[in-house]
Amino acid sequence: MLYRTAGQFKTSYRADQALFPIRQDAFLLGVILLCAWVIFPLTASEFTFQTILTPILIYSLAALGLNILTGFAGQLSLGTGAFMGVGAYACYKLITLMPWLNPVVAILMSGVFSAGVGVLFGIPSLRIKGFYLAIATLAAQFFLVWLFEKWAWLYNFNSSGAIQVPNLDMFGLYVAGPQASSMTQYYLVLGITCLLTWICINLTRGTLGRTWKATRDMDIAAELIGIDLMRSKLTAFAVSSYVVGVAGALFVFMWRGAAEPNLFDIPLSFRVLFIAIIGGLGSVLGNYLGAILIVGLPVVLNTVPRAIGIEIDSALVEHLNIMIVGTLIIFFLVVEPHGLNQLWRLIREKLIIWPFPH
Amino acid sequence: MKTLTRLALAAAIGLAGSAATAEGIYTPNLSYRTGPFAATGIPIMNGQADYMTMLNARDGGIGGAMIDFEECETGYSTEKGVECYERTKAEAVVTQPWSTGITLQVLPKTNVDMIPILAPGYGFSPMANGKVFQWAFNPPASYWDAASMIMQYIADGDMESLKGKKIVLLHLDHPFGKEPLPVLEAMAEAYDFELVPIPVGLKEMQNQSAQWLQIRRERPDNVVMWGWGAMNAGAITEAVKTKFPMENFIGVWWAGHDEDLKQVGQDGKGYKSISWSMPQPDAPLMADIKEYVVDAGLSQQEDLNSVFYQRGLVISMMLAEAIRAAQEMHGVTEITAAQLRDGLENLNITAERLEELGMTGMVPPFSTSCSNHTGHSGAWMLEWDGEKFVQASDLLAADASFITPLEEEKAAEYAEANAPWPVNESCE
Repeated sequence: MLYRTAGQFKTSYRADQALFPIRQDAFLLGVILLCAWVIFPLTASEFTFQTILTPILIYSLAALGLNILTGFAGQLSLGTGAFMGVGAYACYKLITLMPWLNPVVAILMSGVFSAGVGVLFGIPSLRIKGFYLAIATLAAQFFLVWLFEKWAWLYNFNSSGAIQVPNLDMFGLYVAGPQASSMTQYYLVLGITCLLTWICINLTRGTLGRTWKATRDMDIAAELIGIDLMRSKLTAFAVSSYVVGVAGALFVFMWRGAAEPNLFDIPLSFRVLFIAIIGGLGSVLGNYLGAILIVGLPVVLNTVPRAIGIEIDSALVEHLNIMIVGTLIIFFLVVEPHGLNQLWRLIREKLIIWPFPH
Repeated sequence: MKTLTRLALAAAIGLAGSAATAEGIYTPNLSYRTGPFAATGIPIMNGQADYMTMLNARDGGIGGAMIDFEECETGYSTEKGVECYERTKAEAVVTQPWSTGITLQVLPKTNVDMIPILAPGYGFSPMANGKVFQWAFNPPASYWDAASMIMQYIADGDMESLKGKKIVLLHLDHPFGKEPLPVLEAMAEAYDFELVPIPVGLKEMQNQSAQWLQIRRERPDNVVMWGWGAMNAGAITEAVKTKFPMENFIGVWWAGHDEDLKQVGQDGKGYKSISWSMPQPDAPLMADIKEYVVDAGLSQQEDLNSVFYQRGLVISMMLAEAIRAAQEMHGVTEITAAQLRDGLENLNITAERLEELGMTGMVPPFSTSCSNHTGHSGAWMLEWDGEKFVQASDLLAADASFITPLEEEKAAEYAEANAPWPVNESCE
């Protein structure tokens, strides 16, 4: 009914391979973009910006970066948190060494540093695979967090060992630091997220994406049909770490405002990995769905009892919250092991052939 | 299924019925009754909540206004802390951030949101400088005070006697644990003793055998500990295991938790902890707490005489006195956040006032001012006697000649790094 494809004829291969072969998909994306760009900012409160909208976008972007590596190129990584940290510290150093630098340029540049570090730690992937590679990236995780703690130059010899985002302005408007308004920061995060998502969609659908998928599905076969594995794996590490690094810079500069080294420790890596797995490995949309579930849901659950007038002890809410979110994760993985993205694809499929089930 | 629904419904109604919705001055507390630091958090949170409950029940609030004391659970996580801050800031008159991470995050926003931070005995030591940190308060003593007082206790008043000694600083590798380093380093240079900082990573808190091996090798005269949560219990059990002489082992005030010492009991005898609060089981206040809160079944605390519980009471007392001062200064009952800031700046906790409150001896007298947001009350050394903490020294006072210049230097650095940062030049 909603997804009626009758009357939508494809007359060329180009039309058949379009990103949105069905008109309704493009329409749906339009509605989502309209919500994100116009309706949410007009209606959201400071609380919503700070605890739901901005963090969901940033975590989605980080998960997208990880998904390129793990979902598309098949290289399992447990070092996402540390790569986010590289982005954040690089951005901090860029901003403090060159205060005249445009903040957006600094954020986009900081990804280059994490891409470099990512490639460096990606080199072992040429020889080791699967769980062994996971251990190598785990080493990156521990080493980098250790470095953030011990290398005082990174945090400008601050006695507390934490980095603090200064007030940064762009064309007379504060975009980072305590003076910046949440809405400005949201728009910046949204802009960068949309841009990187657009680039990633195109990358994964093009030649590079196909070589990644071939590497993921069977690397020996890929090599036999002439794919350069080194190039394929290292580009995956570079692109993935770039996106993750930008997400890390946004994480600290556009949202948190301050960071200590252990913020980038393994729990953050796991969180991003869970978002990617629950959202669906090898998808772009799944990262957003996963982030909504993992980041957004606990906040909403915390607000519900208060909103309907039930006064529950705050610690009890927290305990309930952990249980409910945990149960939901298990539930979704049982119902659909391929993630929320697959769930949505099944729903869409059913809607298209409705009312005639197979 | 039906019974399950009914059960859930009954539970919901029961919970809804037990908590009355209070109107009045909203003072949220970013508590942590869950997570790795819960064991130390719970008694303090209980103390804070019980004092306010007692005031509401006994006096009908403060100056006629009921106190709406609500907790927002953070589990000591910075992310949750920011969520709580955003959730509560619309109506809150105060922010009680509790973790150093959350304090660091909220501190830069204070000038914009105009809500005072109350961080008693924790947070960033330069917050004492009220000219720069107009909205942050850490009465009655800062970490730098603690470092100075511990060194004075070790030297027994004669700082020259520290010459040639070796002091190990066993600290959490975290902004909190690094706080005392600037003062201790300056003192090591001035008095010519050797300072050996030994960091304990967040992952190694419960297993400190490597650190204690190093301590055994270093053979220090004293070990000073900046620990929190699970780190304290780990260090104390390890010290007992390696037979480190307990009387040479001194912790900051957050490392003086009764439960940590009860684990080792008699073996921990002699362990010391500096503290700006002291349990007074016979104080008149405790009788009121018992009558209005404990006997009424409103308290979750079991041991009313533990150091941390009574410290929680003192913390809420400071907030309550600030509210009272603000009410008097502005002649209103329902104060705003900006008015509370004035109250916190004019805290005057004299010995007489403590007597009136029935809290003599629970905290040293102190007062704050426009330029001094800490009060520098001084502190006592407490000693574990095998069963409980007892007083082991007279009131110690921090050496301002070390601390004030450092405070000014670091506060100026902070203001510069966060420019534009408003500085209140009108202060004396």
